[in-house]
Amino acid sequence: MIKLTSDQLDQFITSLAEMWEVRLPILLSDGTRIIGSLKDGPLALLGGAILSKPTAAFFPQHGTVFIATEDGVPESTDSLQPIFILGFTPRDLACLRFIDRFFADGFCDDLYFHQRKSAVVAGISGYCGPYGSLLAPAGGDCDLEFFWEGSSWLVIPYSSAGKALVAEFTDSAPPEAENRYRQAVMTPPDENERFLRRASELLRGNSVPDSFWVEIGDRCIACTGCNLACPTCTCFGVQDWRSAKRVERSRMWDSCQLDGFMREASGHNPLGSEAERSRRRIHHKLAADPEKWGEISCFLCGRCDAVCPTGIGIIAVARELVTRFG
Amino acid sequence: MKRTLTVCPYCGVGCTFYLVSDKGRLVGVEPSATHPVSRGGLCVKGWNAYAFVHHPDRLTTPLVRRDGLLCPASWDEALNLVIEKLQAIQAKHGRDAVMFASSAKATNEENFLLMKLARAVFGTNNIDHCARLCHSSTVTGLAETFGSGAMTNSISCLDQTEVILVIGSNTTEQHPLIGSRILNAVRNGVRLIVADNRRIRLARHAELHLRHKNGSDVALLNGIMHVIISEGLTDRDFIAARTENYDALAKSVAEWTPERSADATGLKADEIIATARLFAGAERAMIVYSMGITQHSHGVDNVRCIASLAMLTGNVGRTGTGVNPLRGQNNVQGGCDMGALPDLYSGYQKVSDQKIRDKFARAWGVDELPESPGLPLTRAMDAASAGHLQGMFIMGENPMLSDPDQGHARKVLENLELLVVQDIFLTETAALADIVLPAACYAEKEGTFTNTERRVQRLHKAVAPPGTARADWEIICDLAERAGYPGMRYNNTAEIMNEAAALTPIYGGITDDRLDQHGLQWPCPDSSHPGTPILHLDHFTRGRGRFSPVTHRLPAELPDEQYPFVLTTGRTYFHWHTGSMTRRTHLLHREEPRSFIELHPDDAARIGVRDRDKLLVISRRGQVHTEARVTAMVIPGVVFMPFHFAEGAANALTNNILDPESSIPEFKVCAVSVEKLL
Repeated sequence: MIKLTSDQLDQFITSLAEMWEVRLPILLSDGTRIIGSLKDGPLALLGGAILSKPTAAFFPQHGTVFIATEDGVPESTDSLQPIFILGFTPRDLACLRFIDRFFADGFCDDLYFHQRKSAVVAGISGYCGPYGSLLAPAGGDCDLEFFWEGSSWLVIPYSSAGKALVAEFTDSAPPEAENRYRQAVMTPPDENERFLRRASELLRGNSVPDSFWVEIGDRCIACTGCNLACPTCTCFGVQDWRSAKRVERSRMWDSCQLDGFMREASGHNPLGSEAERSRRRIHHKLAADPEKWGEISCFLCGRCDAVCPTGIGIIAVARELVTRFG
Repeated sequence: MKRTLTVCPYCGVGCTFYLVSDKGRLVGVEPSATHPVSRGGLCVKGWNAYAFVHHPDRLTTPLVRRDGLLCPASWDEALNLVIEKLQAIQAKHGRDAVMFASSAKATNEENFLLMKLARAVFGTNNIDHCARLCHSSTVTGLAETFGSGAMTNSISCLDQTEVILVIGSNTTEQHPLIGSRILNAVRNGVRLIVADNRRIRLARHAELHLRHKNGSDVALLNGIMHVIISEGLTDRDFIAARTENYDALAKSVAEWTPERSADATGLKADEIIATARLFAGAERAMIVYSMGITQHSHGVDNVRCIASLAMLTGNVGRTGTGVNPLRGQNNVQGGCDMGALPDLYSGYQKVSDQKIRDKFARAWGVDELPESPGLPLTRAMDAASAGHLQGMFIMGENPMLSDPDQGHARKVLENLELLVVQDIFLTETAALADIVLPAACYAEKEGTFTNTERRVQRLHKAVAPPGTARADWEIICDLAERAGYPGMRYNNTAEIMNEAAALTPIYGGITDDRLDQHGLQWPCPDSSHPGTPILHLDHFTRGRGRFSPVTHRLPAELPDEQYPFVLTTGRTYFHWHTGSMTRRTHLLHREEPRSFIELHPDDAARIGVRDRDKLLVISRRGQVHTEARVTAMVIPGVVFMPFHFAEGAANALTNNILDPESSIPEFKVCAVSVEKLL
């Protein structure tokens, strides 16, 4: 385990810029934190999860699939600089692991892996959550992890790429710092996790009446923010822009909260009401994905709750559901 | 990757977000986590606000009509032609034979400059914009009663009130981040009254949902005020200390018993009584309204009643109260503030006032400015039809879809000697133009927008405009120069705002460097002023608030045997106005791809129509094909159509009858027949 002061971390990050396109938490002028580059603003490692999902580095809101001209589809000649990205919380890393598997399962989503396969992903944990709260270490799911123990960073490399990056440093963490890390690993699951697991059980046991989803649907303004902010939502729409002798196909984040998402050509829609769509949003994460992947696909990053204008993000709904139905 | 903080180009709520760009192309939107209105959220249009910007339909070069066809031209040719033709028309027919239509989509700076171009360079007050179609009734009605036509309170007041009356506003669809705030308020115990006969989302959460007849708002509000007065629920201290003309109001509403009001509105007397008691019983109550109040031939009367109701109960000038007209467009408040109006300069300073004219003439370096008010936009079509108007310069508006009685509008626009349209797409109006000027969109320029709560906010350039397209302000300055006017040379938009602020007391303290973060709410008279979240705190802008009693007038056209349905028009959540941006946004267009009409199941059954049947809708003005949406959203006898769709255009049907004072058209009521297409 390597110990770095904040200054040493700054130097380390600066040294990466030659080889890597470095992306990390940045504070912008209006107080919003993003995953960006140092030229965007000051480094802002403390404060917990970034509102916009860090997985957008590999699966952006809008991306070109191909451009076809009279000469066919030219191969991309963009030289790709590999990304070093820091700022995934442990929960974000669980989301990344989930979609890494999804985008490689049965097919390989080239667009996703275009940047992903050469990227180095660094987690961030420790006492750097909102108001200094603890983000329990991921202990994996990334190339290396940066743990803020209150006054310095402990760096734990996991993958060979992660180890290579910090090879120049010697293990320098004092025993008390390592102890703090080990204690943090032992942190019990929080209350929201308990609610989420119970909500999953209730849904899988068909214990939630349709009337509940009518109530939730009535409160949904179909902003689609829950889907667009969610790191494990992977649905996308596809469009073609045609102009003279040119077609540009691109894909963009889609949302199961839209009527058009499932509408058939006939006009009939198997998810034709807000209640059904609201149910699907929660059910997919808490009941369908556990069947398919063996785990709930919400890792409680909190983003859908943060962006939802009417308070029906997945944590809020799970809590309400458990409070009312068991 | 680059992130650029800017303001949403859609509604008047004024959410901010970051545009994410990569190698000069927009690739997404990220919400601002700290903005006081959007608070980390956005609506579906905001989340997709990047998506139309690089559309291949964007205009990239000026177009000039030759042999009937619009052909690419150089900026030199197009701009010289604009000036030459406008000047020729003025020479032949007089100064007021040309009209400038400004845009609530454009920035404050651009509205200020087009107003300046019309007045200082072309010597005409014929300048107006689409506020004429949405809140001109508010500007007129509230100016008379309060002295200021703007939203009195701030959006945050919705968290600090006890009762909210929403009347004629489908808030969750048209101002989604305000609508959602109302939903949250209700969850936290605020009591909600919705007066709107469509069963909008807010109605599902309301304690009282009043489904009164279209166009019966005066009867409803007079009935409510009658109950408040007769049951002694008025705020006597407020009335005595802050208002005038109370006795006239009391006399006027005395005859509006709940029974009479019920008869006129189609409601039950108990509903009117319950509403009066709930509203007047609150320590703090807010009124929120929008087009359902304003777009009537008696729109100003509706607004007068709303102002009276607020004053009667002492709900003005405090946190959690107020008269809150929700402005529709992203910068319709700013368009009005900047004087893109035929009778007012920026800051609502009257063109009829010699001192004001002198002030502007001095600042602009001209000998004199025109004295008599110009034409309202909605009277321009008739003026052109009568031959008084020969040339129109339209910036960022699409009257072919947004004006009432499309057939009339088309005929007039086609017959103009000169039609110039400056826009980002070849809209239905631009397609009729003689000269088309390609403009930069919101993501491609700097400037400011003013939201519905009077918050002036900066937008920033994220990407370059396509082709040779230029920012509206740059085009206007170039036109002025070519017209021989040297007083419009600016290096940037900040210099334009500095000029506007110096001439506009309510914007006196607005400078770009003070607007970063979250903007400033006007009035902001000087550079140390923190802005004004709530108007009329100690006294009304006009001194005392004036009760203006009104009599109930019916809509101009009511159903009859031949046209048995009331048609009311509006918008959907997923599209913006004439659809030029949202119909080019994949997810939004997919959601609402075609024209439709809402029809009550009972009416549908009676005329043998099923959901998604193709229908023919006919009014005295025209007829359109559309698709049936059978839903209990509407009441029997009333049908609703959005006006976004060029194919199946609601405004081919609407009635071009205007409120006599505000010149707003009666978009909310006309008579139609509905037939199934076989």
